[in-house]
Amino acid sequence: MPWYLHLALRQLFPTGRRFPFFTLISTLGVALGVALLVIVMSVMGGFAHEIRHMIVDTEGEVQIVARGGIGDYPAVVRKVESVPGVAAATPYARDEVMIRFNDKPAYPLLRGLDLDSVERVTRLGRYVRAGSLDDLDDDSIILSGQLAASIGARVGDTVEVYSPLIISKLAADEVFLPRQVRVVGILEIGHQQLDSSTVYGTLRLAQDLYGLGSTVHGIDVRLNPGVNEDDAAARINAVLPEDIRALSWEDSFSDFLWVLNLERGMIFFLLLFIVIVAAFSVTSSLLISVVRKTREIGLLSALGARPIHVAACFCAQGLFIGVLGTAAGLVLGFTALAVRNDIVLWIMKVTQRQEVLRRFYQFSELPSHTSGATVGLIVVLTIAISTLAGLLPAWKAARLKPVEALRSE
Amino acid sequence: MSETVLSARGLRKSYPSGDALLEVLRGVDLDVAAGESISVRGVSGSGKSTLLNLLAGLDAPDSGTVAWEGSADTGARRRAAYLGMVFQSFYLVPELDAFANVLLARRILGGVDGAARARARELLKHVGLGERAHHLPSHLSGGERQRVALARALMNSPRLILADEPTGNLDEGTGNGVVDLLLGLCLSANAALVLVTHNAAHAAKTRRSLVLHAGRLEPPFTA
Ligand SMILES: Nc1ncnc2c1ncn2[C@@H]1O[C@H](COP(=O)(O)OP(=O)(O)OP(=O)(O)O)[C@@H](O)[C@H]1O
Ligand SMILES: [Mg+2]
Repeated sequence: MPWYLHLALRQLFPTGRRFPFFTLISTLGVALGVALLVIVMSVMGGFAHEIRHMIVDTEGEVQIVARGGIGDYPAVVRKVESVPGVAAATPYARDEVMIRFNDKPAYPLLRGLDLDSVERVTRLGRYVRAGSLDDLDDDSIILSGQLAASIGARVGDTVEVYSPLIISKLAADEVFLPRQVRVVGILEIGHQQLDSSTVYGTLRLAQDLYGLGSTVHGIDVRLNPGVNEDDAAARINAVLPEDIRALSWEDSFSDFLWVLNLERGMIFFLLLFIVIVAAFSVTSSLLISVVRKTREIGLLSALGARPIHVAACFCAQGLFIGVLGTAAGLVLGFTALAVRNDIVLWIMKVTQRQEVLRRFYQFSELPSHTSGATVGLIVVLTIAISTLAGLLPAWKAARLKPVEALRSE
Repeated sequence: MSETVLSARGLRKSYPSGDALLEVLRGVDLDVAAGESISVRGVSGSGKSTLLNLLAGLDAPDSGTVAWEGSADTGARRRAAYLGMVFQSFYLVPELDAFANVLLARRILGGVDGAARARARELLKHVGLGERAHHLPSHLSGGERQRVALARALMNSPRLILADEPTGNLDEGTGNGVVDLLLGLCLSANAALVLVTHNAAHAAKTRRSLVLHAGRLEPPFTA
């Protein structure tokens, strides 16, 4: 080992004393930053992962849409289902309606499901909280939880549905009656942005309300496990006419995912400042060390040490603290993630907020999904920042004139 | 004929002092033969440390030349192998034990191996610290620390040792022991020695005695 690395290690861990104060505190600072980054990024990754499940569970992995709708949809579905990697496809119609209950109006999207195939593509049934998807017929609907709460409707109630056709019918002086439908279920996906206000009915109901005839708005596709969404979308597009396009869920929801990623990027950037602040304290400690060791640095010159190696000795101390802090931080972070649910439970118990969490997130457990790339980025950045922290002290040390260093008191 | 390990010609060095220049060295000439021992005395402030630093290549003279075995290269790389230095304050690295301090000289030179470790151990035994090899400097007395510094100076089998008042911080008895040890080590290693000292008795033990006076090296005034 080169002498400057050896000496750097010895200055961090002097013979006899196991863990000196400077090393301990500096390492702890870096470790806390790393641990927090790992924990927060993993939990945010966990939420993103849950959202992926929600999207795929409700709309499949690939979404097919067409401008102006798909007329002969059974043929398209058959074509799509013959594409390798596709497990099933289900058509749907989707548009805005007005719903009224006890004079309270709401303006949700009504999604008309093809009851024969919807269960093969989506896992909507999993999210039905009250009632059942099986009870759905052409005269009933399922409400999203938020919407049901806002108009006060419950399973068994009858609500009125007004379609956009009302405008044209009114214009033609036709008599218009709203559709009376029963509420047969409450469905909650669990993410506010995905869940805001959707109601579910049969495809026939939706087609009637929108005057679509036998046209549908789109087709959702489920793939066989392990099939790449983008590749599948490309294969599907190859067999479809130009005006009908298949998009992977990541492309369909790209705006939403972009916002999620932006959020994560910002949080990462902010948390990185903990590491940077820790690095500042490493810098100042090392600067003090350079001043304290001025005479020793002079001695090293007398022994034939070159300034660049003297510099390396101090830079290496930053590097070692970075490596050590990162390792400790990873251990700390992954340990905390392993017991995260116990921590949450404990906080809930102390603050008595268990119900709020469950209602708000639908997750009774804190999700966590750690991406290797993120951990790699954390490791590389932390070690780089810590090494940079040693740069200023190193430069100071290298610039000391041997004679003056030896002479200093 | 013995070759010259060190030769200095016309060394001049001055420091700014207020508006004026403080001329510390005004043309110093010195030749040191291999294995030779030389003492340099002089009043405090006469420039002895300044001279040693120039001879060691740690500082540059205003004019004049320093050559080691005829070569003007006095850079860090060569210094590590060619030169051993001992100071008044011992300058041991506090985080390293005695053994590691001695070995540090070889680490900086490069090439720490079993033989180097054995030599470091041997040298420590030679200076009477065989049993204390793994003590930190803070657990050693002043005399013991200086003996570690002696062992370190000799670690790379240098051709030349420069010692700047190595007994300055020691009591007389201990100081005598250290100087005797230093002379003996240099003799057996065939290293030349330039010993800066205030002590006439120590100076008398070297083969040649010089005095730094008014910026020049002179033979001692003898009544
Ligand atoms: N960097 C410097 N700047 C200004 N003056 C200096 C500097 N270094 C040394 N001097 C002056 O040069 C003179 C010689 O100093 P030096 O340390 O060489 O003396 P010395 O003979 O070793 O003294 P001592 O016996 O006390 O160690 C002193 O007057 C000192 O003040
Ligand atoms: Mg001096």
